[in-house]
Amino acid sequence: MIELYAITAAAGPPLPTALALHAVPIGDLAAICAPAEEDEREITPDSLWRHEQVVEALMEDRDLLPVRFGTRLDDDAAAARSLAGRRDEFKRALERVRGAVELSVRAVFLDTVGAVEPTGRTGADYLRLKRRITAAQETVASVVHQPLLELARAHTLRSPRPPSEALRAAYLVERGAVGRFTGLVAQLDEQHPELQLLCTGPWPPYSFVES
Amino acid sequence: MSTVADRDVALVDLVDRLLGAGVVIAGDLTLAVADIDLVYVQLRALITSVATAEEKGLLPPIGDAL
Repeated sequence: MIELYAITAAAGPPLPTALALHAVPIGDLAAICAPAEEDEREITPDSLWRHEQVVEALMEDRDLLPVRFGTRLDDDAAAARSLAGRRDEFKRALERVRGAVELSVRAVFLDTVGAVEPTGRTGADYLRLKRRITAAQETVASVVHQPLLELARAHTLRSPRPPSEALRAAYLVERGAVGRFTGLVAQLDEQHPELQLLCTGPWPPYSFVES
Repeated sequence: MSTVADRDVALVDLVDRLLGAGVVIAGDLTLAVADIDLVYVQLRALITSVATAEEKGLLPPIGDAL
């Protein structure tokens, strides 16, 4: 049983030696794999971080498409079979993420804009609350998301988790522009004391593997 | 993401990515995750320092929609 970590170009720097990784060639692409821990079936924060560390080590010196956590196949031949038919799709995706990394930004309201419990209140209260949350999300879209787009090649929006989250986004940013991007996040965070901006990364481009 | 506190804050982003994004190889997932919200709930039980994140308003209280 092998576990898949990433898809990358076949021609590239050598794999990090400390990890038991090997490359399964798929034409001019390669799937980076390692023997799967057979007894590891449960998802824990540690297992997620261990996986992430491997992909981040690979990301240091190559472009790649991260594979979803927990993707296990019988052997190298099974991996080659599963991926061969999707080579064109992977090549297009690799082209899109070339030279870039992913940064995550979440905007959380520190005041109680959404923290009022609708339970036990009237329908009118509930609608007012809904309107306030919607207005808050629209504000965040214009004062946070729009300026960040200037420094991003692409973006993906996830649904913010109510009540306090107003933005949950991923930005594809040139490796050389990461410092400017996080600087802008810090600046926006300072300009908007009602918000806390949570920026993490650089991540492998998980949110940009599809067109 | 080098300190423990940062890692707890980033766990939400990590789960979004490792379990909700990335290349999907159809039909071969042995750790298939049907419901990411459920994973969040399970993970929360494991992370003792998550309380810190909640105090900062980074996570909704347990019982809310995540």
